[in-house]
Amino acid sequence: MKYMFKFPDIGEGLEEGKILEWYVEKGQSISSGDSLVKMETDKVVTDIPSPKSGIISARYGSVGETVHVGNVLVEIDIEGIVGEEAQSIASETVQKTSFEQVEEKGFGVVGTMEVAGDGAFLPASGEGKMENKTVSEAAATKPTGRKVLATPVARAMAKDLGFDINIITGTGPGGRVSKKDVESFRPSKVPAQAKALSNATPEHDIEIVPMSQIRKTIAKNMSRSKHNAVHMSVMDEVEVSDLVDMRAKLKLEYHDKGISISYLPFVIKAIALSLKHHRSLNAEIDVEAGNIIYKNYYNIGVAVDTENGLVVPVVKDVDKKSILELAIELNAISEKARDRKLTLDDMKDGTFTITSYGSIGGYFAVPVINYPQVAIFGIGKLAQKPIVQNNEIVIGNVMPISMSVDHRIVDGGEVARFLNEVLSYLHDPIKMLIL
Amino acid sequence: MFNLKTLDKFKPIDDKTYQVIDNDGKVIIKDWIPDLKDEEIVQAYKDLLFERTADFMAVSYQRQGRMFTYPPNLGQEAIHIASGKVIQPEDWLVPAFRELGAWLAKGVSLWEIFLYFKGHEDGSKFLNAKRMLPISVPIASQLLHAVGIGYAMKYQGEKAVAFAYVGDGGTSEGDFHEALNFAAVWDVPVVFVVQNNRFAISVPLKMQTRSLNLAVKGVAYDVKSIAVDGNDFFAMHDVLSFAREFVLKENKPFLIEAKTYRQGAHTTSDDPTRYRTKDEEDEWALKDPLKRLQSYLISKKLWDPSEDEKLIAQYKKKIDSEFEKAEAYPEYKLDDVFDYMYENLPDELKRQKNNYQNYLNHVGGVK
Repeated sequence: MKYMFKFPDIGEGLEEGKILEWYVEKGQSISSGDSLVKMETDKVVTDIPSPKSGIISARYGSVGETVHVGNVLVEIDIEGIVGEEAQSIASETVQKTSFEQVEEKGFGVVGTMEVAGDGAFLPASGEGKMENKTVSEAAATKPTGRKVLATPVARAMAKDLGFDINIITGTGPGGRVSKKDVESFRPSKVPAQAKALSNATPEHDIEIVPMSQIRKTIAKNMSRSKHNAVHMSVMDEVEVSDLVDMRAKLKLEYHDKGISISYLPFVIKAIALSLKHHRSLNAEIDVEAGNIIYKNYYNIGVAVDTENGLVVPVVKDVDKKSILELAIELNAISEKARDRKLTLDDMKDGTFTITSYGSIGGYFAVPVINYPQVAIFGIGKLAQKPIVQNNEIVIGNVMPISMSVDHRIVDGGEVARFLNEVLSYLHDPIKMLIL
Repeated sequence: MFNLKTLDKFKPIDDKTYQVIDNDGKVIIKDWIPDLKDEEIVQAYKDLLFERTADFMAVSYQRQGRMFTYPPNLGQEAIHIASGKVIQPEDWLVPAFRELGAWLAKGVSLWEIFLYFKGHEDGSKFLNAKRMLPISVPIASQLLHAVGIGYAMKYQGEKAVAFAYVGDGGTSEGDFHEALNFAAVWDVPVVFVVQNNRFAISVPLKMQTRSLNLAVKGVAYDVKSIAVDGNDFFAMHDVLSFAREFVLKENKPFLIEAKTYRQGAHTTSDDPTRYRTKDEEDEWALKDPLKRLQSYLISKKLWDPSEDEKLIAQYKKKIDSEFEKAEAYPEYKLDDVFDYMYENLPDELKRQKNNYQNYLNHVGGVK
């Protein structure tokens, strides 16, 4: 008979794992306890041994692929058992296999799982129902008058995104809807299949690479920001010759002490001072409660470009630190980021974010807010440009800046006032000393 | 013979550790002779090999999805096998959760242990093990139970000892300190065994305590205490035997810090490569308890290492059949979850039970 070995939950509530290495080939004979495959999960990297002895008759998934708990990893031909049992199990394979292929191509989860039948629904409640019927066409595919099984975080997420939890198909035990299911859910009339095939078919020369965890996180955070915040951007330029001189002097002085001084600590200082006078930029909206939460602490996230993707470590309590202290901390952070040693603690509790894209290139940008924060400040490429001074054209050091705010809480006038203050400090950095 | 004088030479305050054999199985104490017969030592080696094989198989079953979270014993078996040799039928065994070999010696069946880690409470019944408490998941809580047992035995005039186990992390729990204090002021017959495997999940010992060692914590409560090389079967056996005699004679508690190293993961849900180095693991591999006892036996011409393979194959068969027995055990009934708290089930619980039954009917789980 054929034995279907399914990827077991080897953690505590594990959902998926990634194949790192196969130890067996089709046709290979194995004994129970022999390692089949090396898997990477949220918790561990481990070998998965076979529970049965026999011959590998099929193997599912290739290296790098993500496998869900419950998906078949291998089929094992076990000697001595034949007949009806083998038949029924074999037909189950066919079903499973076709499901897997659907998943591999990245089709929507809607309609591919049989497990979440109506029996999984508990008695009705209003929870999870849509307020506005923006995805009513999808809602029609399933009754919404019953309560679907879902994790609390999935319910909250669905509500945030305006999805009806009842129309999202769960892939968890008994059809439970998980966070992942909500993330991958796309309300649409267009069949998921057609959509997925529209621009990436095997005929084209393409390469399919699974998203890294960091890339997934970036994608999720960016979508969340654009879904929720109402972005408004403003751009300006500031003449910073005094700052350039001051920084050049300090840079030389601290070079021997191994401290590198960039413009960033000056900008952070200018922002910290200005945020104290414009507190709606250092705030957060609690839509549910109808409140604005003003924060009396100033933790500034600094977007750092790394080979693996964008990370945003946070410098805490910037208002209590000197420019030199900020410089030292920034040095430490960028080293940690380069060595991939940043911890969750290094990245949490930010209240405002700065991106210095100009250090790589670009004058102006429309930065995406680091939601649920409400403002992000972008520093463009510093360059020498002709400027008008005392009715004469002279060479100035010009720093372009771009800022985005959440217009739900920050109005245009307030951003302009905030920017005026920040730019006045950057233009005339001595001012920062007396405040 | 380990005696009071020897105890005096290994004061925790001097940070001394009692050791009998070195990493190559060579006896390092002058004039030392084992208080076990040759065949008993060989049997201890076989028991150690059995524990290791069963433990390895348990991790494998877990990875096959046939068992839930399991805490491996790898590297700590000398403590368990020595305990098994010393603990008498009239003694109580109060486990934490990582003493497999000691449980087996007490009479627990392997299939019961598998059943327990398959999530079935009946695995805690320990049908053939008298005087053993179930596995204690809340860290260090079992030590207070042991002191209570010791107090009861003393009250009833029994000549027996309670052996209580805890890990290094457990010594930071309030329960540990309460237990030591009560044990000392009540003069109860309890032997505390601290398995210091250097990690409380991922927290290393140096972040766990500022104490010089863990045995010194007992000194503060006026509990006779000693640190022992936990990977040295003979050292553990000497001290455990002495501790049992001491406790019975003096009617006072005793504390042993067994210094060891958890070679495996904390549990099957843990990945130790995230918090410790390969160098450290390699260093401890040299102190492996199985290897040291084997080297001793080989040097005394008591063991032929080519026997190992045959034994392991034989053990694996036995372990597999024990696991199949656990798998064949009747499933939990839903009634068992609800029926024992109230004589008449309250409406809310009736509703929950009904809902859950509907859910099970749908997913095709246990009935």
